[in-house]
Amino acid sequence: METLGFLMDGFGVALAPHNLMFALLGAFLGTLIGALPGLGPANGVAILIPLAFTLGLAPETAMIMLTSVYAGAMYGGRISSILLNIPGDEPAMMTCLDGYPMAQQGKASEALAISAVASFIGSLIATIGLILLAPLLADFALTFGPAEYFALFLLAFATLGGITGKNPMKTVVAAAIGLMIATVGIDNTGVQRYTFGVLELYEGVDFIIAIVGLFAISELLFFIEEKAGGGKEKMAVNKLTLKWKDIRNILPSSLRGGVLGFIAGVLPGAGASLGSFIGYTLEKKVIGKKGYFGKGDPRGVAGPEAGNNGASSGALVPMLTLGVPGSGTTAVLLALLISLNITPGPLMFTQNADIVWGVIAALLIGNFLLLILNIPLVGIFVKLLSVPPMYLLPVVTMIAFVGIYSISNTTFDLYFMVAFGVGGYVLRKLEIPLVPVILGLLLGPEMEKNLRHAMDIADGDWTILWDSGLAIGLWVFAGLGLILPYIVGPLLRRRMKVTTGTGGPEGD
Amino acid sequence: MTFNDRIFGILMIVLAVAYGWGTTQFNEPFGGTEAVGPETFPRLLAAVLALSSLYMIVRPDPDNAWPWSRTGIELIVAVVVLIFYAALLQPLGFIISTTLAVGTLCWRMGSRPVKAYVIGAVSGVVVYLVFNFALDLALPLGLLSFLEVG
Repeated sequence: METLGFLMDGFGVALAPHNLMFALLGAFLGTLIGALPGLGPANGVAILIPLAFTLGLAPETAMIMLTSVYAGAMYGGRISSILLNIPGDEPAMMTCLDGYPMAQQGKASEALAISAVASFIGSLIATIGLILLAPLLADFALTFGPAEYFALFLLAFATLGGITGKNPMKTVVAAAIGLMIATVGIDNTGVQRYTFGVLELYEGVDFIIAIVGLFAISELLFFIEEKAGGGKEKMAVNKLTLKWKDIRNILPSSLRGGVLGFIAGVLPGAGASLGSFIGYTLEKKVIGKKGYFGKGDPRGVAGPEAGNNGASSGALVPMLTLGVPGSGTTAVLLALLISLNITPGPLMFTQNADIVWGVIAALLIGNFLLLILNIPLVGIFVKLLSVPPMYLLPVVTMIAFVGIYSISNTTFDLYFMVAFGVGGYVLRKLEIPLVPVILGLLLGPEMEKNLRHAMDIADGDWTILWDSGLAIGLWVFAGLGLILPYIVGPLLRRRMKVTTGTGGPEGD
Repeated sequence: MTFNDRIFGILMIVLAVAYGWGTTQFNEPFGGTEAVGPETFPRLLAAVLALSSLYMIVRPDPDNAWPWSRTGIELIVAVVVLIFYAALLQPLGFIISTTLAVGTLCWRMGSRPVKAYVIGAVSGVVVYLVFNFALDLALPLGLLSFLEVG
């Protein structure tokens, strides 16, 4: 019941007029970001972080706004899946399978409405799951010592590629690069490391600059390379004729998808893509011959959509309770928390209860806002889809420039951002994932601090790192996270490939 | 072909060695050395990077093609535009530099030149106005500073 009281306080925070306004703005922007191809959720949230700073928002308002963006992006991803057969973000891939055929049959607006309802149900289930599970996990995490934290961080890196990841060693390379960049600057004993006497490096590399560069600038370069500036033909959207019966039909699929998605979101190494994939496969199994999957079955839209939204809310559980994000976008949200001077992790639930519960309540409210935004206003988003990337991406790049410039008013940061963008392009070409680099940048200082604490307690005895049962468990799971992709990865990837008829997922 | 991963792996091993060697150059922390000094964590990282890069050299993935020829030049143009944008933001001011940068990028991505620079100018003016008046953040006016009101 304690939880209920906190949740009520949270509603008090989230329903304050300005917070509600920013939640609405965030939900709108998020849907837009999710819908536009070439502007993924992680990228979109990253670009908005410097703007949230320059606006001078209070921590809880900034967090509420960007969490709404995150939730909105998951809603938006389905729009381009259904209308263009291009997933706006990667977890929306499964929605293409039945959503696009529905649109081809002239039932685009039904598909959009059904997927909005399914997204709503998936998010709602997962948010309730978050409310129930997060405090328990936070309490449990309070028993962690520095050695356990060090092992937990390793686990986070090891599972980041997901069990469908292609080459876990590249995740390790990426993580090491990120952690190395994080060691630049003056460390907490006052020693300068890798500053080369450059004044701007004394405080270390600002991870916001790195994130915006890695995502936004490298995306621009990729679009130029693929010459994808022209945009795609879009579908006509018919008038909506949705009956209550249609919604009742997809309810069981949405409920199943939502629960599965939540579980996939919470577990390390699964993520939203796997959530929507399992959601789709399960629907096919449960409904069997009675369905017409792949040919525009509404249940094939509802299952994966609920799954992917459930997973994205589920992914907030490890991020909020342990300070360990499991996906690119939650990593970017973690970056926001750290730059707001909030130490993520279990203590946040006691020290910053207003923020945590405000965000959770905002998720619930945001869900209703998004449902309202997405059914009647879907036409606006559809219109915006036809903005070709050749105008969109340069303007987005400009906004990234303005955001970074306005943090410190120096051009040094801008050069740095461009350099990170070029680096990000090269890494993506080599299929080295960017998210571990970012996670390394974010977690590096904490990881080193915990290592030092553990070693100081044990007086330099390295065995302290695997001295407790809990720590050993974490090490084992971290090991599995690196080994399993070699064993089950090829199998799972092949199955997903067969189902979607496209390339396997890259992990978001 | 599997050159990319091998070359990158070699570069990363060089980085790991240089980075590891860098730890020997740190000053002694104030108050003497402890069990874990400023050099311990970086040395671990250097070892991890060296080993994982070695794996990339031994078991490389197939290459993605690099865009040589015209697309490559377009990419270099884009990066140069971004660098000039950063360099000229203060001297030329936000509106002019944005017109040039966004316009050039739109043009190179396939828009007609006139339309591209119009979009650049409009987006520059709109963002300038929003930042200066709605958000109260001063972006540099540069050459246009004579327009500044009171």
